[in-house]
Amino acid sequence: MSAPTAPPPARVDRAAPAGRVDELRELSRTTPGVLIMFTAGLVLVSVLVGLFTAVSVQSRAQSLDDLSASSGPLSIAAQDIYRSLSDADATATSAFLAGGLEAADVRARYDADVAQAESALAVAVAAREPADLADPTGPLAILSGKLSVYTGLVETARANNHQGLPIGAAYQREASSLMRDELLPAAEQLYRDETARLGDDQDSAGALPIVEVLLGLLGLVVLFYAQRYVRRRTRRRLNTGLAIATGAALVSLLWVLIATFGVMANVGASRDDGSAQTDVLARARIATLAARADETLTLVARGSGAEFEAHYAKVRDQLTGDGGLLGQASGLATDDTVSGKISAANTGLGDWHKVHVEIRKLDDAGDYAKAVQLAIGPQDEGAAVRFDQVDANLREAIAATTATFDDEVSQASNALTGTVIGVIILALVMAAGSVAGIWQRLKEYR
Amino acid sequence: MRAPTTRRAVALLVAVVLACAGCSATTDAVGDRATPTGGPPSPAGAIEVTSLPGSEQADTSCDPTASLRPQGALPGPNDLPPGSPMAKIRGQGKLIVGVDQNTYKFGFRNPITGELEGFDLDMAHQIAAAIFGDANAIQLRVLTSAQRVDAVKNGDVNLVVQTMTINCERRKDVEFSTVYYESGQRVLVKKNSGFTGIDSLGGKKVCAAKGSTSLPNIVNSASKPIGVQVPNWTDCLVMLQQNQIDAVSTDDTILAGLAAQDPFTEVVGKPISAEPYGMAIPKDQPEFVRFVNGVLERMRADGTWAAIYNKWLSELLGPAPAPPQARYRD
Repeated sequence: MSAPTAPPPARVDRAAPAGRVDELRELSRTTPGVLIMFTAGLVLVSVLVGLFTAVSVQSRAQSLDDLSASSGPLSIAAQDIYRSLSDADATATSAFLAGGLEAADVRARYDADVAQAESALAVAVAAREPADLADPTGPLAILSGKLSVYTGLVETARANNHQGLPIGAAYQREASSLMRDELLPAAEQLYRDETARLGDDQDSAGALPIVEVLLGLLGLVVLFYAQRYVRRRTRRRLNTGLAIATGAALVSLLWVLIATFGVMANVGASRDDGSAQTDVLARARIATLAARADETLTLVARGSGAEFEAHYAKVRDQLTGDGGLLGQASGLATDDTVSGKISAANTGLGDWHKVHVEIRKLDDAGDYAKAVQLAIGPQDEGAAVRFDQVDANLREAIAATTATFDDEVSQASNALTGTVIGVIILALVMAAGSVAGIWQRLKEYR
Repeated sequence: MRAPTTRRAVALLVAVVLACAGCSATTDAVGDRATPTGGPPSPAGAIEVTSLPGSEQADTSCDPTASLRPQGALPGPNDLPPGSPMAKIRGQGKLIVGVDQNTYKFGFRNPITGELEGFDLDMAHQIAAAIFGDANAIQLRVLTSAQRVDAVKNGDVNLVVQTMTINCERRKDVEFSTVYYESGQRVLVKKNSGFTGIDSLGGKKVCAAKGSTSLPNIVNSASKPIGVQVPNWTDCLVMLQQNQIDAVSTDDTILAGLAAQDPFTEVVGKPISAEPYGMAIPKDQPEFVRFVNGVLERMRADGTWAAIYNKWLSELLGPAPAPPQARYRD
């Protein structure tokens, strides 16, 4: 057995590339060499400027799409969840105020509230990544997990109530405390999250076009130096190809600027005339619902509901006190219809409060039956009708500001239509013009 | 057939390239799902208690059921002594009474009518009738068990008629009428649960209302059950139905009212304590106490007490026994 002999290592010639560098260095000393490098540089810059500007515009367009198709509708969905859940609970509780079975329209209102909450919740869930729902303490997990528990308790309460058993009221109390302690806080958190996302999308859609401007200027500066070099070397004043390239770069920059400033104006309006007002109005609407629930719960508690009455006073102060939500909404309002609705809501709130004071006076004086009748009866001067008027005015104001938001966002999207394609085509024109212009000069060196 | 396939492949390729250009991640990770805990929530205010301060030994410093003897004949509604608490109540227009709306047959809200009804309510109406000549001259204020003493002490109500056990501890803060009902604490469990009384419930969860005399009796029981306190008696039945507790222990009257709402439950075991009910009245109104005792004497004598018992309780607890004997300390 002889010792194995290792094969000799393969030899690699690593010196070869040095020749290429030398060649390039050689080339850069000649005018045609510089011209060729300018051509390569201009083509590269044109393509990069076009590409990055297009990406930047595209991401702005994406934010606008999100505003109209995702964060906009989702913040509305979150608001719907909160509103319909509070209304469902106030309605289910008030069914325990009247003697006998709850009226058919009261039941229908509860059913409609639950259906709306569930459909809005399905939308909110579908829009999230699955991983967002994995956290059992997240608002969507709580809402989707506990809403069915809530409705189950309400049905148990109702079934017992139909048997004439007082335990029905205990099930309703358990359901209400689940609503107040877990579901409504989760809905509020969800609403805050979605509103923050809406704000983020508005920020990125309405951001200053710094990247676009810098890229456009970069293209123009490179073209300027190319033209100066060509002019000095060839003693020709105008190079048609490079002039066309410069024109294309200018048009592209101006197009992007005009479109973007249009978008910024629309996005600003979508905030000032739309979402900012919607947010305050939505919070005002939720506060009036809370006040209505307090009014009902004070009566359900029958003399030991001081905490609910105190909460009513607090919520009323949030609504109408100094810097209250209605005052804020009125200050923000930029549309006559909306202002009209807000002032109608304000007047309605005052009328309702007068009835509320009357209800408290009756109840405190021991006239419970009359107090309940005034609180839930169908008469025009009753609290139920007054509350519905306030709610309807706020609902219509919200509908108006939401419509303005949608309109402004869609206008902003329109302003960007074709910009991406335009920017790319102009970048190609810029590249082609540069190549053609310099090719013309290069030919003279043959 | 070949060309369309190629074209389709190209179209697919283009679509994939376009789709991938527009997205950063191609798959949404589902992630690990934590197992959520299902089941019903606890009623508001439900907490577990394993010891109650100052309740280790029953307060025997007084003779709790001895009240103040009525003086002379009971005055009619129109000749109440001027300046007396009764005259003042008449002046305020209505008798303000603290009651319960969650104790079936004693003080509960009738879901059909929305009215508060029961044995305690009828007792209160009798007092109103004696002051106003009108049994409905009454203003009800719903209290939880824990709110009763303070409501009387602070003068929020003229009277509490709410399955309230007379004992020395409460007597420090309020005065009581003579005993108008004699109850005893027992245990409510699910049928076929195997529990036979408080002794078999060691380490198990047993529910009672906060501020009731039942809760210390549970916590201090030799078998050491875990007490669960809730605001209202019906909350206990809700928790029993939802398997959150194993038993409810309180006065047999209240338990009978709960059992009547759920035929799958039963009252078991011997009474573990005597629970005499009295009406709670502010301490500084001896005249009113004597007046109320006078009304109770009349009700015992003329059959009103038995009639009210039969109206509410005979269905649950059998025919009316003799009314509880009044005891006085003069």
